[in-house]
This record gives sequence, structure tokens and C-alpha cells, in this order.
Amino acid sequence: MIIELKDIHFNYGRIKALQGITLRLSEGAVGLLGPNGAGKSTLLRILLGFLAPQKGEGRVLGYDIRLEQSHIRRYVGYMPEDDCLIPGMDAVTFTAHFGELSGMPRQEAIKRAHDVLFYAGLGESRYRLLETYSAGMKQRLKLAQAIVHDPKLLFLDEPTSNLDPQGRKEILELIKDISSKKDIQVLISSHILTDIESVCSDVVILNKGQLAAQGKISELKQLHFRLYEVKIKGDGEGLVKKLKAMGYKVDETEDKLLKVYMPAEREILEFFRAAEEEQVQIRRFVRSQTSLEDLFAKAVGVD
Amino acid sequence: MTIREKGYTHWDGELKERRLPWWPITWLGIRLAFKKKYFKFIYFGSFIPAFVFLAGIYISERIEDFRYMIKGSTRILEVNPAYFKTYFTSDFLLFMMVMILVVSAAGLISDDLKYNSLQLYFSRPLEKRDYLIGKAAIIFFFLLLLTVVPGFLFIIFKLLFSGGFHFIASYPWLPFSVIVYSLLLTSFFCLYALFLSSLSKNRRYVSILIFAAYLFLDILFGFFYENFRKPAFALLSLKVNLQQLGAYIFKQKPAYPVPWYWSFLILLAICSLAYFVLRSKIKGVEVVK
Repeated sequence: MIIELKDIHFNYGRIKALQGITLRLSEGAVGLLGPNGAGKSTLLRILLGFLAPQKGEGRVLGYDIRLEQSHIRRYVGYMPEDDCLIPGMDAVTFTAHFGELSGMPRQEAIKRAHDVLFYAGLGESRYRLLETYSAGMKQRLKLAQAIVHDPKLLFLDEPTSNLDPQGRKEILELIKDISSKKDIQVLISSHILTDIESVCSDVVILNKGQLAAQGKISELKQLHFRLYEVKIKGDGEGLVKKLKAMGYKVDETEDKLLKVYMPAEREILEFFRAAEEEQVQIRRFVRSQTSLEDLFAKAVGVD
Repeated sequence: MTIREKGYTHWDGELKERRLPWWPITWLGIRLAFKKKYFKFIYFGSFIPAFVFLAGIYISERIEDFRYMIKGSTRILEVNPAYFKTYFTSDFLLFMMVMILVVSAAGLISDDLKYNSLQLYFSRPLEKRDYLIGKAAIIFFFLLLLTVVPGFLFIIFKLLFSGGFHFIASYPWLPFSVIVYSLLLTSFFCLYALFLSSLSKNRRYVSILIFAAYLFLDILFGFFYENFRKPAFALLSLKVNLQQLGAYIFKQKPAYPVPWYWSFLILLAICSLAYFVLRSKIKGVEVVK
């Protein structure tokens, strides 16, 4: 296991930031989701070894999160959300500098800096002053410094923020490529759910300091509900009331379509019986692909 | 096939624990300082007194050869502890040290705060202590080159030109005074600059602060001393406090009749304040906002 947390609690004074988080993550890319204040940052702080949990225990890359924080940071790459740079230097010096700080020999760090800058798409501009970089280039630079020392675990905080669609696509491709290596675990914290869905196989959803959902995205979608798009003729109010009473969740879209979330234990036939009883004609009944957005909304309890 | 087309590749080497984890920060800081506008000019200009004093040592040993050039007393060319004290506590040297801080040290922490680089530093196997030592070592490097190195060169040149060990036998404590005063001077300026650098995200404000605080306190002392003639006002000036302490360390009479330990306590209080502010301002935990 790359990350293993057991019953982690952390409070900022009276505020309970994390309450009993238990996680086990292995290879691949994992998305870390949650609304603001859910505890994502605190969880990342604990995983990076900056905060020691007040209760519970855990290991990152086999190192104890309470006692071996320095070891954890040696083998972890971190790409922060904010723009980070050191003024007055070029990308090669910058990237090599952080490689050296991670424990690489100087010459090796410089050589590797060239490689990762080419890999991140900054090969041509690697000798330009960092202050002259565009937002997209700064984003690539942050990725380059995070992977320069070939980390075993990569934390990416909002990796596609400030990027145009093309830049976003390219960064996601790079992350996919990195996470395809079986010996690198990638943990991505992002608010852009489509990014998470396109890169990650697994997801961890936090809500109010607690674990709201965890597992493979495909399984989680199946597990909770099935989603159908329904078009009806007639007065649908009675049908909606009846379905809700039966435990269905029904949303009406702007183009008069009903989005029906069917609980896993319910039969499709029951839906049609309800429609017949309410004398509603079903014009269209299509199984819809549930999105991560649907799953997120359900997990954190918002529409 | 380009590196990008090949996809992500692993690095073959092994990450090692450094004996001095702060050294890359120091080395980078020194290199970046030399890239700054005017830095080379100011820094090498600061060595002018050292060359003048070295020339003074040569002349003092060949005083008869230079008699025709020197009118009046030759007492100022006597190489003794007072000669060293004059070099180390000269207004010009202290002023140039402040100028070096203005140009090279103002951005050491403020730039990291402005450009969020603390997050990157502390996501490495680096403690707050290592970060601060790395930054402090940059200032130590520049200021010690300007103090301890000329100090020892003076002693060595005096011994070489005089052709004997009479000088060092007369003042065996002098090398220790050179080391102690150089370290005190450098430590004070180091904490002073880092403290002010941590107060703002704007390097220009910090530069102005470093210069203005030093100058303003000296002007304040001058104003009160001229009006009230009380030597205790000397304690207001950073420069005078450093000079009073220098006079004590080189066993000379201080310029103002104020006990040396008062100056020492004031400088120590400023250093302590600086240290505690730095500890609270530099937080590794801010790595994730």
C-alpha cells in the first residue's frame, strides 16, 4: 500500500478538520474531491508530513506519518495550486535546484532538469527568466519541479487551473502518462470533476472532515444508483411525487426531461407500474451514464 | 524520438540525505546575488578600505621610505589593536555592509513569500531550521569575506612585512578578537536583514527598511546627543552600538562613556526579536493553503 491511514483525527482548535479518516490507496491515479472546508488540505498536509494527526496512525510509502516525515518528503513530489517561482533564474536552474534539495547530486539534477523540462513541454523556453513565463508555462514548470527527483508519489493540487483548453488537455495527457507507470502513485486534488474522471481510476470524496465515498469511480457509480432519462406525456406531478415516495430521486431538466435516479434495490418494472397508475405516457426511457458530478453531488448531499 | 514522445522516464540514481541540506539554498543565493544589478560594484567597492589598510601596513613597515610623503604624526600608521578597531568599526565599512544587505539580502525571504516558493522548499526534506540557515549563510558568506578575511590578512601581512612574530606575541588575543567581532557583526546584520525581509512581500520596501532603520536611528542619536549631550543616547544608534562593542572587543576606549554591555544587550534584544519573528513567519505548514 502506498498510502495507508487508520482512524485519522485532526482538529484546529474547536474545528474538527478530519474525523476518523481511514484510507488504503495503491497504484494508479486517485482523485481527491470535496467541497471547500471538507478537509482536503488538512489531509494533504498530513500526507506530506506537515501535520501530525492528533489521533490515528498512518503510513505513506511505508514511512510513519508521525515519525518519518522527512523521509516521506524525499520521495514525494508536490505540485502546489499557487504559482511558485524564484525570481531571477531560468527553468533549468530552478528545477535542478529543487532536485538537489530532494537529495540528487548536482550534475544529475541539472541533467534530469533538462529531461523533465522537455517532457513538460518547456524545452524551448528552459533558459528564459521565470518571471516572463505565461500562466500555462508556470503550471508546466510546477509539474517539472515535482517530478525532477522521480518521486514515488505525486501530489497534484489543482493541476489544470489557469490553463486554456489545449494546455489543460496536454497537462492531463502528461499526468495520464505519469500515472500509467505502475510504480508512481498520483493523488490529484481538483474541483474540475471532468479532469478527475478523465485521469483517475479511483476517487476519494471528503465531506465535513469525513470520508463520504472511496473506491473505483466505475464501481461507485454503479453501486449507488442507476440514472435514466425519461420523457413523458401528461401531468408528471403525480408520478414525481409517487417516485419520490418510493425512494427515487427525480430532477426535471430545462428541456422537460426527467432525470430519474433509481435506487439499486428497485426494479425497472416498478417505475412503469407507477407511471401506469398515474396515467402517464412514457415517450422515452434511456439509461444514462452517471457522471462523477452526479456521484459527487450525491456523496456530499447537494443537488 | 524526442524525450516527450518517449513518455515519462525514471531516474536511475538514488536520492541521498545531504550532510548540509541547506547548502543548495546558500549556493544558489550567492550565484543569484552576483547576477543583481550594482551588486558587484557595491561588493567589490566595499573592499577599498581593506586595500587601504593593507597598504597602510606596508607603509608602516617602510615608514622611512615614505617619510617625504607623510606630513605630521605617523601615529595613525602604527599597526596595533586600534588599527584593527578602526578598520572594523569604520563608518564606511558598516555603511557598505548595510548597502550589501540592501542589494543582496532584502529579497531573501520576501521574494519567497511573494512568489510562494516556501511551499516548494518545505515539500522537500528540509526543516525550517535548514531553510533559515541556508538563507543566513548567504549573508555570512558575503560579510565574513569583508571582515574576517581582511582581519587575518592584516595580521599575516604585518608578520610578513615586519619579518618576525613580535606583533602577535604582543597581542596574542588579536586573532580571537577579529573572529569574535566579525561573527558578532555578521550575525547581527544577518538577523537584522532576514527579520526585515520576512516582514514584507515587497523586496523594495524591505530594501528601504534596511537602509532607513539603520540611518534613521543614527540620525535620531545625533539629534538627541547634540541637543542634550547625554552619552546614553548612543544606545539609540545601531552603528554606535556596534562600534562600542568593537571598541571593547579590541580593548580600546569606546567613543562614548557608556558601558559596552548595554550596547551588547540592545543588539542581543534586537537579534532575539528577529529570531522569534522569523520563527513565527516561516511556517512549513503553509505548504498547502
